Amino acid sequence: MRWAIDHTSRERLQDQIATCVRRGVASGELPVGEQLPPAAELGTALSVDRNTVLAAYRQLRDDGVLEFRRGRGARVVSAGPALSSVTEAAQKLIATASGHGLGKSDLIRIIKELT
Amino acid sequence: MTSLPIAGPTQHAVYTGRTTSWPMVATTCAGALLIVLMGKESNGAWTDLMFVVPLILVAIGVLANVLTASSVRATAGPNGFTIRWGLVGWPRCTYRLDEIEHAEVIDLPWWRVSYGFWRTPKRTNCTVRSGPTVRLSLRNQRIVTITVPEPAAAVAALREASAGGQLGIA
Repeated sequence: MRWAIDHTSRERLQDQIATCVRRGVASGELPVGEQLPPAAELGTALSVDRNTVLAAYRQLRDDGVLEFRRGRGARVVSAGPALSSVTEAAQKLIATASGHGLGKSDLIRIIKELT
Repeated sequence: MTSLPIAGPTQHAVYTGRTTSWPMVATTCAGALLIVLMGKESNGAWTDLMFVVPLILVAIGVLANVLTASSVRATAGPNGFTIRWGLVGWPRCTYRLDEIEHAEVIDLPWWRVSYGFWRTPKRTNCTVRSGPTVRLSLRNQRIVTITVPEPAAAVAALREASAGGQLGIA
């Protein structure tokens, strides 16, 4: 599992960590039942405080993505929103864009500008 | 998540992975079964040293297996490469980036799998299965071989973390 956070970003670190987990779950890299690294270990690796990782894990638990069990750490319990919904939305976007005469490169440019 | 773009200059990218040591899990189960069988065979002679001493030894072996050898966790990133064993993360080894001269993915044959933590004068082996495995060549000439779920991603994380091309990635 690859974790990437930006310490200079305006986005809160705990939100960035939660995004990494959501991305891993959505891509199938973190299957249901997979155990996440202990908060202290991940905190050390990412150079953030253990409580920041715990805050991200709690956020994901509240969203139903993770569960905590004593002695077993944090585990993935939900596959999260399926990527198929994203693919469906992308198909709609492509159809709308082609209706306006916009091609692939135009769409990529617009998405890059927005993200 | 190997399809993700390379981390930017302000990003902090690490790889974490956990591999279960199934041979050790099987050994633990066999040990637990042995305890049950010894208990049945004792016929209530729990005070007899012939039963109690082997029972304690087997129980210690099972506990040690669960605590230290059931799985291996690896972390690769700006802090180097860290390996932790078992439930409590011990034994633990950390190799800082400046200690690593070379990192590569090798194809480990089954006859070279250590099924645990082995340290010899020139090598450290933390392997639990054959196949693609991370191999670190340290500046002190030590060779470290570690099983991780995605060896290429682990090496890529080290490569991203290495400032100024300290590592030569094969």
